[in-house]
Amino acid sequence: MHGSGAEISREVFWNILGPGFPTEQVLLYVLVVIAFLLFFHGLAKSGFFTRMKAVTSAQGPDVERVNNAWDRFWYMVVDVFGHRKILREPYQGVFHLFIFWGFIALAITTAIVFLQADVIWPIWHVWFMEGNFYLGLSLFADVFGLVAIVGILMAMARRYFMKPTWLDEKGEDKVILWFILAILVTGFVVEALRIQATETDPASPMNPYIWFSPVGRTVAFLFSGMSMDALRDTHVVLWWTHVLGALGFIVFIAYSKLLHIVMTPVNIFLRPDTPQPPIKVMPPEMFENAETFGIHNLEEYSWKDLFDTEACMRCGRCVEVCPAFNTDKPLMPRDVIQNIRTYMENKAKFALDADGNYRIIPDEEYTGPALIGDGIEKDTIWACTTCMACVEACPAYILQFPKLIDLRRYLVMMESDFPAEVMDVFKGMENNSNPWSIGAHTRADWAKGLDVPLLSEKGEAEYLFYVGCAGAFDDLNKKVAVSLAKIFKAAGLDFAILGTEEGCCGDSAKKIGNEYVYQALAMANIETFKAYNVNKIITMCPHGYTVLKHDYKDLGGNFQVFHYTEILDKLIKQGKITLKQPIENLGTITYHDSCYLGRYNKIYDQPRDILKALKSGRLVEMKSNHAKSFCCGAGGGRMWMEEDLGTRINQKRTQEAEASGAKTICTACPFCYTMLSDGIKELELSEKLQAFDIAQLVAKAAGLDQNTNKAGNEDEQEAAN
Amino acid sequence: MNTVVCIKQVPDTETLIKVQGAGIVTEGIKWVMNPYDEFAVEEALQQKEKMKAGAVTIVSLGPDRAIEAIRTGLAMGADTAVHINDAAYYDKADPYATAAALAAAVKGLQYDAIFLGKQAIDDDAAQVPAILAEMLGIPAVTMVVKFEVAADKSTATVTREIEGGQAVVEVPLPAVFSAQKGLNEPRYASLPGIMKAKKKPVDVKTAADLGVSEGPKTVVKEMTLPPARQAGKVIAGDDAAAKAKELARILHEEVKIV
Repeated sequence: MHGSGAEISREVFWNILGPGFPTEQVLLYVLVVIAFLLFFHGLAKSGFFTRMKAVTSAQGPDVERVNNAWDRFWYMVVDVFGHRKILREPYQGVFHLFIFWGFIALAITTAIVFLQADVIWPIWHVWFMEGNFYLGLSLFADVFGLVAIVGILMAMARRYFMKPTWLDEKGEDKVILWFILAILVTGFVVEALRIQATETDPASPMNPYIWFSPVGRTVAFLFSGMSMDALRDTHVVLWWTHVLGALGFIVFIAYSKLLHIVMTPVNIFLRPDTPQPPIKVMPPEMFENAETFGIHNLEEYSWKDLFDTEACMRCGRCVEVCPAFNTDKPLMPRDVIQNIRTYMENKAKFALDADGNYRIIPDEEYTGPALIGDGIEKDTIWACTTCMACVEACPAYILQFPKLIDLRRYLVMMESDFPAEVMDVFKGMENNSNPWSIGAHTRADWAKGLDVPLLSEKGEAEYLFYVGCAGAFDDLNKKVAVSLAKIFKAAGLDFAILGTEEGCCGDSAKKIGNEYVYQALAMANIETFKAYNVNKIITMCPHGYTVLKHDYKDLGGNFQVFHYTEILDKLIKQGKITLKQPIENLGTITYHDSCYLGRYNKIYDQPRDILKALKSGRLVEMKSNHAKSFCCGAGGGRMWMEEDLGTRINQKRTQEAEASGAKTICTACPFCYTMLSDGIKELELSEKLQAFDIAQLVAKAAGLDQNTNKAGNEDEQEAAN
Repeated sequence: MNTVVCIKQVPDTETLIKVQGAGIVTEGIKWVMNPYDEFAVEEALQQKEKMKAGAVTIVSLGPDRAIEAIRTGLAMGADTAVHINDAAYYDKADPYATAAALAAAVKGLQYDAIFLGKQAIDDDAAQVPAILAEMLGIPAVTMVVKFEVAADKSTATVTREIEGGQAVVEVPLPAVFSAQKGLNEPRYASLPGIMKAKKKPVDVKTAADLGVSEGPKTVVKEMTLPPARQAGKVIAGDDAAAKAKELARILHEEVKIV
């Protein structure tokens, strides 16, 4: 019994301990120990240790995970406690924050009570839980308990009333919220019963401070009519109920997605911390000595690939933002991760011998459900646009879509198994260094008559203008290349193009999974760049920008790479381009963030700054913008594949543009330009909507477009020419 | 089933062709396996896979560079190859001389069927399959779009493409077959296939090694490119009837097709 004698405090274990030996107190701690033992038992029962054996036996190469450990630690702390990524979605973010901080505050309070009652008082007979400190602690716990309840109720409102389509609904999902709510409510009821019994009497020294437990005090009104005996009896029963509930919660963590409380922070610590796109690097030497490429088998994964699946709590944010899912294609990034986890569990169980020893089993021996086909369907693998929205959205820093690239690599390079229409793309890249399969000798035809300097003639230039296949071969995007060349010339930029010496950047091959062809194309470009001592490169296409800037480094190509929007923005701000003519008929404009410019490279402001500098139309945002932008549907090689499942991604994005009230969609990516132009035509919106690349608008505003200064309908323009 | 596939390396269909005298400038050209030969290779591989036995041998006449096309065939899955690497012979070879060299190379091989593309897309002669069969004294079936072999490998039942329809032909083996588009979907060489192809045996022979001295029966005297395409013409005006009349006039008087 803790007869501290402090007046402004409370008796810990009030009404619980009998006289003499504190049997109940000992029982409580025996139960705590049992709960933790059951927690570990639960991990074993739920296959956690078996899966961890698979994780630690993974053979695939992995990158540095514990470098800059201190930075990683602080990043994790800020992310976990500050909910940096979780708050990206306000509603879910706030309720998780409420539950999280309620949980933390109550854990802190419980720890303080434990220290006081079971450590400091028995040993030193010091009672610090009194006076203002006690009142503050009481208020703190009450407020945060309420905050947690509000969080739980918000989560319930989402699960039972808002019912988003991407939310998972497994057995445990039906229980967890109710379970936590029960623990919180019984906690308050227990508190209220104690308050009713000990603090409502005006003679009690605590009576003046009774409202420092605002929730407990309020709930106590419910019990104002109860006798002291009834209060005490109910209190004992509910106190033990609350304790068993809280201890049961600890056990339940081991069996459920609640394990994310432990696993997710670890995964945040282990997160990739480079600006590189999150796709696995395949060192060129691999092609000389490796036996197999990509992944189709458990052991080919890196340990972190598999660990990722443990950190997933199925929140579904990746599903919510996935363009494939949102157009009814059979792809949910969360399920990709979960299916890999199930596959891992199946194979790991299979791999345990009679004595429980884990052994790596050869493919042929494993007869359980396979990874590709049983776990993840091929249609799922090919549905991904590599838009990176899933990776960006994931609060656990799991890499979802890169795991599909691993599977594509296996299918393409080992099995030659890919959508039939991709065959011509690969052959075009191999034979003519462009996915359009147009003769390589025509690569510089777009520049005819424009007097664009060739590096082979000029010898050297400050900037190489790397046009890319779209600007060189696609009729729509040739206009953008022409606009850029005119702008660069007018701004007096020291630049040149490679002409027919330029090659395909290889991005589509890479993202389709043909790393072999990608590296051949990349190596050829790197060699050419080096031969001309190229240092600075301007790209027209964000896809080329991404591979040239980041991925070529892995092949020994270190260049300073800029997207044209970075250059134009600078030139405009320096006054080297004068946007003297307002463009007519532009109307309200909206900017479509290219995935490869935005999420891959964090370029959000420059394109918008350029558009604002045009002074030719109000800029509005679409519902999905910046890091949450919605893909046009062409990334990841999808540009070259039929889209015969579900609805069309480009149309969904075009509809979003229409809904924004804009008349003009501006792009800074040739793929997006093509997809959105097609979207306008397919939806027969040409009367209401038009698409332009930003470079075209800058050329018009700078008076470099001889044709017209009206941003009219493209078809009308062509007819007029 | 053992098969032989005769292939030719040709310029890529999109590559820039420059005429020089009676031939083309070979520098700066991207060379590929003749697309129709890909159907031939694929069919040979599919037959081997179906029978679970036999070998596929590639035979090609061409200069050093032809090895790339041969390696493509080996990467797709062919087992061995004979490269008749004789630039002097190749430069002068017409379909007859080509068939003679191929026949000499094939004679020493075991085969139940010989596949070729129906024609090479460079000179478009489409003669080699028939001449080769004649020289080997075996039947030839051209324009094959479906191929089936009897279980005892004594005959093949083959569907040919004919004008406006199809004909089914039965032929005793061995025989020569020329592949038409539609026979199959040629596979994309897998990476292990490409790696393995580098180590597969290629028997390099000259025309003299094979004992062929047959000269060409024809000589190319001149080669010209088709005229450049003219820009399109837009018939302007507001009156549709007048525009239609003008169109009819142009088609009749200028283009002379109506």
